[in-house]
Amino acid sequence: MTFVQKYLSWAAGALALLIALVFALPGGKVRGFDVAGFGNIPILEGGRVKPLDSVARNSLLVIHSRQGFRYDGRTIGPDEWILDVMFRPQVADQQPIFVIDDPDVIGLIGAKQTKNRNYFSFVDLSSHLEEIQKQAQTAQPIAPQKRTRFQSAIVNLFDRVYLYYKLRNTLQLAGSPGLGWELQSISDAEASARHQDLMQLSQFRILPPLPGGSPDAWKNVGEGLRAMAAGQGVHPALVPLARLNAAYVANDPASFNQALADMNGVVSTLKPGALSHASNEVVFNRAQPFFVGLSIYFVAFIVLCISWIWKPELLRPTAYSLLFAGAIVHTLGLAARIILQGRPPVTNLYSSAIFVGWGAVILGLIVERMYRKGFGTAVAAVAGFASLIVAQNLGTEGDTMEMMRAVLDSNFWLATHVVTITIGYSGTFLAGAIAIAYAIRKHIVSKVDVETDKALVDMAYGIICFALFFSFVGTVLGGIWADQSWGRFWGWDPKENGALLIVLWNAIILHARWAGYVRERGTMVMAIFGNIITACSWFGVNMLGVGLHSYGFMDQAFYALMGFGLSQLVFMAICYAPPRFWEQKPHHKA
Amino acid sequence: MIKTLASRIWKFFKSFQLTIVLLACLMALVVLCTLAQVEMGTQGAVNAYMRSFFVKRQVSFLPFPLPVFPGGGLVGLLLTLNLIAKTLDIQRSWTKAGMWLVHAGLVILFAGEFVAGMMQVDTNMSIEVGQTVNYVQSYKNMELAVIDTTDPAWDEVYSVPDTLLAKGGSIAIPDTPLTLNVKRYYPNSELSNLPPGAPPSLATAGIGPGISVVERPTVTNDNELNTGSVFVEPVAGGRSYGVWLASMALGAPQSFTHEGHTYLLTMRLRRQYLPYAFTLKQFRHDVYPGTEIPKNFSSLVQVVNPSQKESREVLIYMNQPLRYEGKTFYQASFGKNDTLSVLSVVENPGWLLPYVSCVLVSLGLLVHFAIVLRRSLKRRQDKKEG
Repeated sequence: MTFVQKYLSWAAGALALLIALVFALPGGKVRGFDVAGFGNIPILEGGRVKPLDSVARNSLLVIHSRQGFRYDGRTIGPDEWILDVMFRPQVADQQPIFVIDDPDVIGLIGAKQTKNRNYFSFVDLSSHLEEIQKQAQTAQPIAPQKRTRFQSAIVNLFDRVYLYYKLRNTLQLAGSPGLGWELQSISDAEASARHQDLMQLSQFRILPPLPGGSPDAWKNVGEGLRAMAAGQGVHPALVPLARLNAAYVANDPASFNQALADMNGVVSTLKPGALSHASNEVVFNRAQPFFVGLSIYFVAFIVLCISWIWKPELLRPTAYSLLFAGAIVHTLGLAARIILQGRPPVTNLYSSAIFVGWGAVILGLIVERMYRKGFGTAVAAVAGFASLIVAQNLGTEGDTMEMMRAVLDSNFWLATHVVTITIGYSGTFLAGAIAIAYAIRKHIVSKVDVETDKALVDMAYGIICFALFFSFVGTVLGGIWADQSWGRFWGWDPKENGALLIVLWNAIILHARWAGYVRERGTMVMAIFGNIITACSWFGVNMLGVGLHSYGFMDQAFYALMGFGLSQLVFMAICYAPPRFWEQKPHHKA
Repeated sequence: MIKTLASRIWKFFKSFQLTIVLLACLMALVVLCTLAQVEMGTQGAVNAYMRSFFVKRQVSFLPFPLPVFPGGGLVGLLLTLNLIAKTLDIQRSWTKAGMWLVHAGLVILFAGEFVAGMMQVDTNMSIEVGQTVNYVQSYKNMELAVIDTTDPAWDEVYSVPDTLLAKGGSIAIPDTPLTLNVKRYYPNSELSNLPPGAPPSLATAGIGPGISVVERPTVTNDNELNTGSVFVEPVAGGRSYGVWLASMALGAPQSFTHEGHTYLLTMRLRRQYLPYAFTLKQFRHDVYPGTEIPKNFSSLVQVVNPSQKESREVLIYMNQPLRYEGKTFYQASFGKNDTLSVLSVVENPGWLLPYVSCVLVSLGLLVHFAIVLRRSLKRRQDKKEG
């Protein structure tokens, strides 16, 4: 590798990091309004203080499956969208953001499915709200596993419409003249009923706790108005909030930005620290480190693939440096989540996917340093990419930093048991990925290269040992946690069984190898099967819907899991097939 | 001849084939047990697949269930023997010290699961705020309690477990002149008011004559409870006090008086009285602000143990149970608008074994990896020098 090549390859990594940095920068003002500043306002939702930006992004993800959309020829971001929903519902109601894929549901609302038309606006749906609600209410008592496709889809649509409806009525009642009017007519005849509605429909609490009260006593607008009507004085945040509302409706950016500054002033006196915590989270939201990370992994993998046919001495180190850059972004994202949440890295299924990917990438980087054959880079990039894709799909159900239920509220056990067992998953997946690489290589590469084959088998073997250690220790630690909290070490709960299966399978691989029953190829076939077992124990047990660990049922994921299992069986067959079995036999020379 | 047989058996038990076959069987059992939980409930599936020596299937043309697959007990036993044989077979040299520790730890882990399967007793204790409770009660088993309430200072409790009621016949209550004649016992039943014109009830005293009892199949599911009922005739001093109906479905106990002693009759979940008592001073159920997500459950109890002259406060909360006199008390559930706390109580003499095992195995793996690392470093060094 020449001097220039070395620097070129590292420059690629640096460029990737620079692009990642650009994502974290704030966007400009929209029509003069400081929309980003509005997204920075801290609120309380789901038991934790977070910026409005997080509410906007998560709600838009739930409703629209994306964090932004195009309308009227320009891109509307989450902060602008939530401003419109809350202050100018007549505008937001026109935007087609509800995605409906189920043809029966589309039929129910009297529309026809066409190629571009499965996006609907609130106005489109508004004349069918009663029917949607009626259908959803009949389906809701049925257990999620037992619902038909239509029932799942209608419940899902109802939940999204209801979320939208709540957002519309959180800061002002949609259709009313606004919060300023509400403050003036505090004692009119219907005021009390309106306050009641605002309290019931409120999606989050925006009024910070007042001095002297409990530090967690955030209030929603309805509660603030009710306290005011009861003669307890005006909450200091209500006034700038009303001005924000009025200025946005009147299309007056200067007053809006001034009111925003006043609002921030109120928040920072009432709840010091909340503003800076919120703005840290906004930076994290904007940077989207896991999306950026998976893109970099993808590029790294493509570059590596090209390196096998063109300029390997330049492109292989480039791929490695890109993988390294991706790992940095991934690590920063993980660290940011840990700091923001104040929790160890794995707290739910979403974060487990991120952590499994991270573990696989770090292991892959180490393997690549040891063997320098490009395989470590390849499998690490694929594993990181795949697990972040899985995470992106798991993250569309709302806040991924939700609060931990009482029994899980133990940083010690989350940090020990959950992290070790997840590293065990990473290891098993990485060993499987290496085995797949081995299988494909066996059939593609024309010349027999014993040394590379041996290196791959060594890598897989070492990683299986590593995975056995972590999954065993993690499983036993889990047993000890269970003994501490439920009174039994081992209860044959599905999740425990899943972890046990991984341990048993890795133990079988190692014993079969030590006893000489399997050699290179056999070990690799078994390592691929490890992928199926790990995927089943990671996701499959949640689909059974039994046991103490079943935290969330996923119906669509079932087919994805089946597909994954089948693909692994195919890889096992490919691995087991003799090399180049489809190639034509050389013609006999006459 | 004997020697060859012994050496064959030895060879069989220390073989790698056996290890792999058994591990594979265990994997199959774990998968089957997990899938079966959807239909049978966790406890049912565990009993059928794990805590049995054979997995049995009922075949139509046979009067008894046919063993179709080795159960968890058998596989575990063989695996333990295999492990012991293997452990003894590992070279007794320092280079194998790690492997020795690992396998010894695994033997202890299996032993722990056996002890738990055989000897673990699960009960619970429900206390309301301010109440003092000195017993734990079973989740499923029942008893017929005969309580002498004559002395206002304390009750004398005699109880007949459901297993004894099921045998029927007459049961003499020790230390009292009473004998109970069990007329009929229903392990599970449904009670209703006796419709007019129906055949008369077996009962002749108490509220029994007005009630009809229908037998029901027993339930085993985790969250269902059998309603046990029994018709008994207390006899004392040659005199019958009539036939009484006692049932889990009847709330208030019924009483009769013999020679100045008043006896209550009641069917209830089987109790085990403790030489100490718990008083619930406070129960907390905290949620995250603005949500219903539980953040914490905790019970502040006063433990009073006269035999140890002990009286102290203990806070039992999530992940922080109280271990006391061989029993462990966990915060399990709550009710009655957060004024009732339910503690689950576990008595498992082998609870320490998994902890010991965990330490041994982790230590063993670390030692083994250290030895392997040293060896490979040495090899690398040799290569460089050579």
